[in-house]
Order: sequence, then structure tokens, then C-alpha cells
Amino acid sequence: MRLSHLSLRSFRNLGDQAFAVPSEGFALVGDNAHGKSNLLEAVYYLETFRSFRGARDRQLIAFGYPFFRIEGELTSPEPDRGGTRVAAAYERSTARKKVVVDGVEVERLGDGIGHVGAVIFSPADITLVSSGPSERRRFLDILLSLNARGYLDHLQRYRQALERRNVALRRGEPPAAVSPWNAPLLRHGSAVTELRLDWVRTYERSFRATYEAVSGGASAWMEYRCSFELPNSPPSAGMAEESPGVFVAAGPGRGEVAEAFEDALLRSAERERRRGWTVVGPHRDDVFIGLGSPEEGLDLRQFGSGGQRRTAALALRLVEGETIRQVRKRAPIILMDDVFAELDEGRSERLLSLLDEQAIGQVLLTAPKDADIRLRADTLPRWRIRSGEVST
Amino acid sequence: MSAIEDVVRELSRLPGIGPKTATRLVHQLMRGPGEDTLRLARALDSLAERVRPCEECGNFGEEDLCAICRDPRRDLSVLCVVEGAFEVGSIERTGQFRGRFHVLGGRLSPLDGIGPEELNVHGLLERIRGAEGRVREVILATSPSVEGEATAVYLEGEIRPLGPRVTRLARGIPMGSDLEYVDGSTIVEALAGRREM
Repeated sequence: MRLSHLSLRSFRNLGDQAFAVPSEGFALVGDNAHGKSNLLEAVYYLETFRSFRGARDRQLIAFGYPFFRIEGELTSPEPDRGGTRVAAAYERSTARKKVVVDGVEVERLGDGIGHVGAVIFSPADITLVSSGPSERRRFLDILLSLNARGYLDHLQRYRQALERRNVALRRGEPPAAVSPWNAPLLRHGSAVTELRLDWVRTYERSFRATYEAVSGGASAWMEYRCSFELPNSPPSAGMAEESPGVFVAAGPGRGEVAEAFEDALLRSAERERRRGWTVVGPHRDDVFIGLGSPEEGLDLRQFGSGGQRRTAALALRLVEGETIRQVRKRAPIILMDDVFAELDEGRSERLLSLLDEQAIGQVLLTAPKDADIRLRADTLPRWRIRSGEVST
Repeated sequence: MSAIEDVVRELSRLPGIGPKTATRLVHQLMRGPGEDTLRLARALDSLAERVRPCEECGNFGEEDLCAICRDPRRDLSVLCVVEGAFEVGSIERTGQFRGRFHVLGGRLSPLDGIGPEELNVHGLLERIRGAEGRVREVILATSPSVEGEATAVYLEGEIRPLGPRVTRLARGIPMGSDLEYVDGSTIVEALAGRREM
């Protein structure tokens, strides 16, 4: 899929603009604070219906306007295969978000996500690897909501159960009034854990290889760290293969991980009562990123240099792109927000050749100076931006 | 404070009625003969005076026991637990249930500060104990939401040790709907709850 057309109405400082997007992409050049990132933000909004920069919807409306609207047209690179139109709008006064896919309003936002198939690289990605575990859980949650069937549903139900259970604990309810929340917590929590574990185990090798390719030799690894002890044999996350011709007999959230989670939950009863919240579960998990080999056990967060952290963050994003390629069977649209300015010469070169090797699809990138654009031997159509006005 | 404002304020405290609708209702009343308004007032008056929760089951009635609890033909051995008196009406209209009811007065909802203490659970357990084994089945008819499910799980834990069989209303595809339009999680429930033909 490629983005072939984009139209904006009162979005940030970009105002009302519409453009046809070249199938290879574009390189948007402009000074800082003129709206480069805003354009990529608009494109990625169509993927998740949230700002990738964590801005609230009402902050995305141009100053003094009642609403914003973004519409994108996606076309398949092969002819005769239809495209998709995705539109999203948000109105300040009613706080209502409306998402329309191919002319039909989606009932739940979750049904409309993932049509663009994009990955966004930004300088803020450094927090993915240098901040606390919640950033990495968020990374997994977004990635899997977009790429693993059923994940978002399990995640939402898990959070519902968790929130209620925590309030019951905080209120000091008797165990009999806390335990009714255990069943949904265990069921959806183990499904979430299994799908995350499955992703990390499947893409660990790819992460390592990508890190090595960008760093030019040095290695790093990742591992899912669960808040409870997992059974040794790797669980099968998705559908149970051994169930002969029956509907999913066990299914996610009902196997060994669920048992381990339940054990841990029962064992922590005393501790959670004292603290007033649920102390085990996927809301406490982390993805550990280590330098060198697993035997060395060096924590990137503690011992990593700025360059090593940037490389690890880039590798995570590249693996995210790889996931889109595997799961959705198509090249991701690559959005790069001022990424090269932060990388040293060698890393930039290796990242570029890696991207070229991967037979990437469309690339939309931004840079403050022409000199920073080296992707695709500098052949991307050059667009300029000044005070929000894009000239193609 | 004028009489009109008084009534508007009282009416707009009801669910689904805002100040605008309340004002419209008041003006409608004022257009008709004063008789109509007085009749409404008397009806509301006796509602407040006479209707009260049944001492046995919590359903609304005009005596100590509601009409259902007084009816000797109702089957004592089956008890249907619902969240509110409103649901009693829904089930009664089907004419298919001959047992008795128990009204909880809500469901477990920690976010709203509602725990077991705030619900009529004690009364339910006393009823089952007091029947000395004559209650053979308790049907849990709380709603299929996260909170309704948790309420059912909680009640099951409390009731089972007392002896009766505990059942739960079936969940799945609604009658008259098309499979095409049913959401994924409902289909999952329906698959899990499928039965032999």
C-alpha cells in the first residue's frame, strides 16, 4: 500500500491543504517549527487515530478552528487491486472522533486501525530504550494492536478488569469481593502476555541482526521479562494446532501461561492486599534490552552510550517494519522524522543501505537541511515547507 | 423560586430528562386542564406513599411482600437473581419463569464504590439458608458486562457452599439477528456455549 493522496483541514499549523503523494515518497525540507513533523503526524494519525507524539486530539486542531479532518487515499502498487480511503476527524465542542473507512463510519476505533501500514521513526524514539518499562509496553501494545488479531480486545478487557480489581483492593474489600475480577484478569492478561512473548521470541533474532547491521558489528539482544515465572517450554500463542477440527480448544489465555499467572496471583495475595493494587501481570512486564551477549547481561539502560541507545531504538522500529511485512504481506510505509541529524556518519550510511536492501516501499522523510537527505541516492522528490505551507 | 422552576428542577433529575425536556413537559401540563396535573400529582403521591421494596426479595410492591412473593403458585425451588426491579419486569413479561426473584439493587462496581456490602447479598444468603434446602437452583441473571460477570462469580462463590445448583443465563447470538453483524467476542462466547442438537 502507498499513500497516494492526502488532504488536511485545520490540522495544526498546516491549515487546509491537499496533495498527491508520489509513489516513492518525498523528502520534506524546512526550518524547525514550520510544521515538518506535523505532516508526518497527520499521516500516522490515520494508522492509529492518535498522535504519535502523545498530543491530545484537541491540541491537533488549528488555533481558532472547531475541528480538524485528515483524509488519506491508499493505493496498492499492483494495478487492478483496489485502494482504501481512511478519514479521521475530531470536533472540539462535542469531543467526538469520527473515523470513516471507505465511506463507512467504523463503530469502534479499533476496527479502523492499521489500514496505512506505516512505521514512524523519530528522535523521541530514544525514550523507547532509555525510559522505564512503560514505554516499551506501550511500544508492544501499539505494535500488537495493529498486527496481532484479538490483541487490542484482550488488552482493553485486561485493563478494565485490572482497574476494578485495584479499586476493590484499595478499598480493602474482603478477598471474596476481589477474586471475582481474577477470571477476566487471568484470561485476558495471559492472552496479552502470550502474544507479547510470541512477538519477542519470533523477532529476537531479527532485532539482533538489525542492531548488528546498523552498529557495524557490535551486538545487542532483547528478552521479554515477565512479572511472574513462566513455564519453561515456549507456549504456543495463537491457535492450538493440535485441536483436530474443533474450534480453538485452548486458545490464547487458557494454557500454561494462564496457570503460571494464576499461581503468581494467588501467591501475591498478601502483598497486593498490603499495597492496595495488583502486583503481578502484564502491566508490570518489561522488554529487557542487553548489550553484547546474554551471558554478559549488560543492561543497555545502565551501560549504553547515546549511540548504542539510538541504534537499539532504530532496530526496534526496523523490526516493527519487518512485522508489518510478515503479518500484512506488504512493505510498510516508512515515516522518518528528522532521524539522520542524530546519527553519526557510519550509522547513517549503514541504516540507509539496510533500508535499501529491505526493498522498502514508500518513504516520507523530513530534514531541516538538504544535506541531511541521503536516502535513495537523494532521488526522493524534494518538497519544501514554510509556515505550514507545503510546496511540492 | 417559582413553581415552574421547582417542577423543572425536580423533573430534570430523572434519567434521560434534561432541563429542556423538563420545561417542555411542564408547559404541556399547563396547556391541559388543571385536572390532569392534579391526577399526576396524586399518582406520584401514592407512588411515594404506598410502593416499597418487598421484604423478601427487594422487588417493588405495595405490601410487605410483593405480588410475586405472595403468589402461592410460584415455584419456591428456583430463585432468579437480578440487578434491579426493572429486570424482574422484563423476565415476568415472558411468562416463562415460574420461580421467584431476588433483587440485588445493583452490581459489584468498585469504580462507583459499590462492593458486596452495598448490595442485597446478605438477604439473598439468608433466604437460601432459611429455606432449609428447598431452594434447589439459583439462576444468576446479572448482565453480561465485566461488572455483571464479576458479580455472578462472587455470588456463585457465596451460594454454592449452601447447597443449591448455581446457573447463569446463556450468552450468545441474539434472536433474529444475523451472524454477519455479530461482533467477534459475542461469537467467541457463543462458540464456547454451543450445545448438542
